[in-house]
Amino acid sequence: MDKRTKFTLSEEEIPRYWYNIQADLPEPLPPVLHPGTGNPITPDDLAPLFPMELIKQEVSTERWIEIPEEVRDIYKLWRPTTLYRAHRLEKFLDTPAKIFYKYEGSSPPGSHKPNTAVAQAYYNKMEGIKRIATETGAGQWGSALSFGGACFDLEIKVYMVRISYDQKPYRRVMMETWGAKCVPSPSNETKAGRDMLAKDPDCPGSLGLAISEAVEDAVSRDDTHYALGSVLNHVMLHQTVNGLEAKKLMEKLDVYPDIIIGCIGGGSNFAGLFFPFVKDKIDGTKPDLRIINVEPASCPTLTKGPYAYDFGDAAGLTPLIKMYTLGHGFIPPPVHAGGLRYHGMAPLICHLYRLGFVEARAEHQLATFQAGITFARTEGIISAPEANHAIKAVIDEALKCKESGESKTILLAHSGHGHVDMAAYDAYLSGKLHDYEYPREMVEEALAQLPKV
Amino acid sequence: MEKYDHLEIRCPRLGGEVTFFYCRRERNNLPCPHIIDCWEMYFPVEKYLSSKLSREEWDRCFNQAPKNKVMTLIELIEAAKNQKQVPD
Repeated sequence: MDKRTKFTLSEEEIPRYWYNIQADLPEPLPPVLHPGTGNPITPDDLAPLFPMELIKQEVSTERWIEIPEEVRDIYKLWRPTTLYRAHRLEKFLDTPAKIFYKYEGSSPPGSHKPNTAVAQAYYNKMEGIKRIATETGAGQWGSALSFGGACFDLEIKVYMVRISYDQKPYRRVMMETWGAKCVPSPSNETKAGRDMLAKDPDCPGSLGLAISEAVEDAVSRDDTHYALGSVLNHVMLHQTVNGLEAKKLMEKLDVYPDIIIGCIGGGSNFAGLFFPFVKDKIDGTKPDLRIINVEPASCPTLTKGPYAYDFGDAAGLTPLIKMYTLGHGFIPPPVHAGGLRYHGMAPLICHLYRLGFVEARAEHQLATFQAGITFARTEGIISAPEANHAIKAVIDEALKCKESGESKTILLAHSGHGHVDMAAYDAYLSGKLHDYEYPREMVEEALAQLPKV
Repeated sequence: MEKYDHLEIRCPRLGGEVTFFYCRRERNNLPCPHIIDCWEMYFPVEKYLSSKLSREEWDRCFNQAPKNKVMTLIELIEAAKNQKQVPD
């Protein structure tokens, strides 16, 4: 095994194609039905928001989609990204496991998001679009799209949830430095925003409202489109540039991961790394490959919570669904077809989870910060709090290897640095975050309320 | 202010600190759909909310299957088109 710490490709080796997993799914994604007509959506339905090339990519089943040379040229500003061997973390854990991480924090905005932001900006530019509107929460996506817009001389308008706008001024300054216009949502610039401000002038905003404002902005102007930073199929597609690089690097090292781990919110960061590998699991080449999606315990889209129970359809296909009761005997009706799993999570990842190709686990906040501190003190990188979820799972798997004596190869999808998230680290380091033991009587009370299935 | 409104946690969706007051009004004065998952570690949030919400509000918050993102976008497109035709 190579003893080096960093493994890189040349600029010439930046992938020339994105990998489209829809070509290799054993079952296709179910079609999205128009909420008004009940018929499958058509390109025209999405045309007010997206350029036609992206709409084609959203539904394409072509395995390889060429990366435009103009996009590859911009990628060269930070790609290929480095694959690291975490020698110091391995030593600290005293594990026989071999830990690798593909680090996306070297991009100008500091995360994986420009992989799609640059591509989306390019396709909009090619279609003659002058402006793109979007929403942002913490500001990572807004920053990435602002950078992408600067690359192709597009005007970018970012509706930033007001509570975040007030809390994270440096994200706003980053966007403005790249030439974007960032306004707090609710704003006076859309009807949705004005309506909300009329009701509540001090409204702190929400992601839902910011999306409404950005979509309204895009629909109301012919020169404007909308962009989304995660969840959609074309976003996952663009992110695969990272996984393809990782695969090529590992091939050069003559290693193949036993376990791939990444954090999931909308899913695009991890999908970008694991899609090119899960192909090998789907086709039977690497049946033992484990792919672990790690999510916050407070947002359990894939993992089941303490109230989860199986309403079980006859075919056994209905997934466990978390439901809440009002107590006092009221049992809500079951929700079928995995609807709850599709909230804010990429349908492609949910689909692979349902088919059994990937696993999921949830981690609590405090433990993830502890893992992030360990990573910073061994590998040096102060990670985004989201990435710390995956780091926690990597450490757990490496410690299992220590117990079993197995020398497994673990690959971590590291989504980016946490330099604009130091307030969160401050909260952890100053002891504001704490563990909480769920009272036994509350668990018993909750269990007593579960429906008998 | 209500009993728990001052409590603060990091919101995994927004990537920043929010108060319980924010979470319980996040969706047009109704709770965020994740509020129980986020807060159940800290106090009996489900019991608290069940005492504050009507059954209809409860169902709207917690017992409706969320839409696929594309469907949500299409609904927003339709709403924006309609707003275009109706001036403020």
